[in-house]
Amino acid sequence: MLDKGLVEDVLQTALETGGDFSEVFVEERFTNQMAFQSSRLEKNLSGRDFGVGIRVFHGLQSVYAYTNDASREGLLKAARTAAKAIQGKQNGGTAIIPLMKETISTLHPIQIMPRKAAKTNKLAVMRKANEIIRNYDPEIVQAIIRMIDEEQNVLIANSEGKFVEDQRVRSRISFVSVASNGTDMQTGSYGPGAYQGFEFIENLDLHYFAKESARMAKTMLHADHAPSGKFPVIIDNEFGGVIFHEACGHGLEAASVAKNASVFANKIGERVASDLVTYIDDGTLENGWGSINVDDEGEKARKNVLIEHGILKGYMIDKLNGRRMGMSPTGSSRRESYRYAPTSRMTNTYIAPGQSTPKEIIADTEHGIYAKYMGGGSVNPGTGDFNFAVNEAYLVKNGKIDRPIRGATLIGNGAKTILNIDRVANNLGHGAGMCGASSGSLPVNVGQPMVRVSEITVGGKEA
Amino acid sequence: MVIEQLKEKLYIEGEKVGFSHLELYYERTESLTIGLYEGEVDKYDFSDVQGASVRGLHNGKTGYAYTEKFDEEAVSYLLDSAWENAELNETESEEFYQNQASYEDARFFTPELERIKPEEMIGFLQDVEKKILAYDPRVTKIATSQMRYQKWEKGLLQHNGLALKETNNMLMFYVAVFVQANEELKTGTTFRMTKDFKGINADEVAKEAVEQALSMLGEQSYPNKKYPVVLRNDAAASLLAVFVSSFSAQTVQDNQSRLQGKLGEKIAAEHVNLIDNPFLPEGVRSATFDAEGVPTRKRIVVEGGKLQTYFHNLKTAKKDGVETTGHASRNSYKDSVGISPTNFYIESATQTYEGLYEKITEGIIITGLAGLHSGANPISGDFSLAAEGYYVREGKIVGPTKQMTVAGNFLDLLQDIEEIGEDLEFLPMDYNGYIGSPSLKIKNLAITID
Repeated sequence: MLDKGLVEDVLQTALETGGDFSEVFVEERFTNQMAFQSSRLEKNLSGRDFGVGIRVFHGLQSVYAYTNDASREGLLKAARTAAKAIQGKQNGGTAIIPLMKETISTLHPIQIMPRKAAKTNKLAVMRKANEIIRNYDPEIVQAIIRMIDEEQNVLIANSEGKFVEDQRVRSRISFVSVASNGTDMQTGSYGPGAYQGFEFIENLDLHYFAKESARMAKTMLHADHAPSGKFPVIIDNEFGGVIFHEACGHGLEAASVAKNASVFANKIGERVASDLVTYIDDGTLENGWGSINVDDEGEKARKNVLIEHGILKGYMIDKLNGRRMGMSPTGSSRRESYRYAPTSRMTNTYIAPGQSTPKEIIADTEHGIYAKYMGGGSVNPGTGDFNFAVNEAYLVKNGKIDRPIRGATLIGNGAKTILNIDRVANNLGHGAGMCGASSGSLPVNVGQPMVRVSEITVGGKEA
Repeated sequence: MVIEQLKEKLYIEGEKVGFSHLELYYERTESLTIGLYEGEVDKYDFSDVQGASVRGLHNGKTGYAYTEKFDEEAVSYLLDSAWENAELNETESEEFYQNQASYEDARFFTPELERIKPEEMIGFLQDVEKKILAYDPRVTKIATSQMRYQKWEKGLLQHNGLALKETNNMLMFYVAVFVQANEELKTGTTFRMTKDFKGINADEVAKEAVEQALSMLGEQSYPNKKYPVVLRNDAAASLLAVFVSSFSAQTVQDNQSRLQGKLGEKIAAEHVNLIDNPFLPEGVRSATFDAEGVPTRKRIVVEGGKLQTYFHNLKTAKKDGVETTGHASRNSYKDSVGISPTNFYIESATQTYEGLYEKITEGIIITGLAGLHSGANPISGDFSLAAEGYYVREGKIVGPTKQMTVAGNFLDLLQDIEEIGEDLEFLPMDYNGYIGSPSLKIKNLAITID
């Protein structure tokens, strides 16, 4: 993508005021975005992103510059400005180690590059999904189908001699159904995605995913308002894992641990969760939506066990925060694009399967809430307080699913909630999502088997 | 290759290919962000980036493509992709504005702001940090302390038509602190968005952030029920931001707005006015032309509780047989033309913040909402959100509550606004428009307390 000699010159220039580490990240990305609504293709965009990010460290000090002027003059100017901002003590600085090209073999095979798939074929899939949703029920008034695919080519090089190129390919389709009875509207949605090409879209079980979104919308249209109070809450698999992503995952990222801004800081070896909980971040999951071959610092992807049977084992660590913590990087450094300096982030994070069956867990719950599909939420990273919407929820009475409820919001504290997991089922599943944090918005999988939390506060309209 | 060269080549080649109309839209942004951690510079990001997108008309269909790479291939990439996208497009063609219009004579770019040196920004952040740590022994940490300068330029260049350009800049400051008492850990934040660096007072922002955090210590639980509620200005604005799309004519035409068919009707309490003003000197969305090149104008969207207009672009206006309101927008050159407000806010009245709760026998003040992107349904207006705030008894703040949820419907809430404060404030970021509100007293909302 860029000439090795030029990259070496940029890396060296960035160190001219005494910096001790420099890095170049080059990115070119082709994206397609399509949106089908009101039974026709309404949005159809293509683009080519391109830019270069230059990072310099001096101890714990870090400077980041980005530009899309990749000319020799443009890059050297950015490197010089970055070097100037580093207030190094010596002149001349560190000499870079000559770059050695690393070849990586992909962990995530791709069959049909998104740019090679005809847009008419993509449109045909959307049309089909639209039909499935609209034919589901007369109360379905709108179907919105979005498709996004991208090919991201990166080059990562640093002053320690690293020079590696990678190609990331991702495809995602989402189905949103709107149900209405004339006065009220409710929506249902499902958005599977993978580190794959168009084959992912082609092979997807449209009937299942599209129909689920329609069923969800219709079910919620006829649901009662959620009750308020404290309940045992059963959270189903796949996207249900979003709670622990927000409430625990973020607290295990070095970005918050290194600055002592996480409840999990300085707790390695201690009990932080119920002993039923093993929590893993695995960037190597084959073709997983959040998977990578190398992270955005060029470190190889790996499987990191974060919590094992309730005991804290490790964190997700990037290079800069690793320096602050005195710990090695874990292949967890990611960024949305060249516009962001990378930091520790999640890839595919999940709670490992347990022994119970979903059936047993429900049968074993006298009075509680069953969250079949979770919506999004957020967490205050400092305190761990979280909130989540439940997209499809039910009351559980005497061990049986009773009736659907809508508008349920779960609130609580992450560190307390993982201590209160009292059942873990054997049906692990992953759900695709986008995670926003300081290095931008990234594709991640959240995952878990069905779990039960002994008590969570549920807020609804029926106060 | 710079924009001018790209434009020349694009129009020559585009004509050859057969586009009946072509437009080039571009943005260029320069920024510097400085962050401090424990007195040292921890973040120092600077950038200079641009991107351009073409919008072309072919066979009565519109096609888009963008690029951030300005090499020899850029022209053919843009034209080929836009052509392919236009061929597939199934909607009516978008309109291209070609009138001779008069634009408001306004300049938003502030040259003094550009002259602030990084050292001055660092010095200010260090000063604030010292003041925060000295303010109260319960302060344990400063989680984030940042300042960002941004300058942006937008241009719209039509083939044989309009050539518009506008520049703006802004300075942003944000700080977040932790306080701790016994086992209780709370955060407090404050921000400024301004064109006047000297106008940010270090003592004032330090006090604001710490007091906000301290006021959350000593949380108590209270019964779950419907309470009269005061939504503090920032919380009220964040709620309005979620439901802004209801006012878009596109949303209305797509049958996804409950404001459909409500023009001229009372949709809010009669003392409620909603204004969209594209000429606010410190408005992030201030502009003299919209994304289609249409001159912007100040609009009263809701007057005396009655809905006066939706937000229109050329396409929705044509469909409704009205004139565009100049609300065509693009999130960036990466996106197509849509609709959003500019600087959109509930107009202030005269009541003080304290005055809004002094007559409440038992109620809740909400100072912050969370989970807005997930717990609110912009179509139905229903929301169920995490909230923080205080419990009020006999007109006085008793203290903070444990984490709450607040549930209701936005359209009901507009009707239930009993009193409006004097304290209009805008949200620190651009949420599909720059959104503001004064504090609002609401008849009642369902509250659940952890």
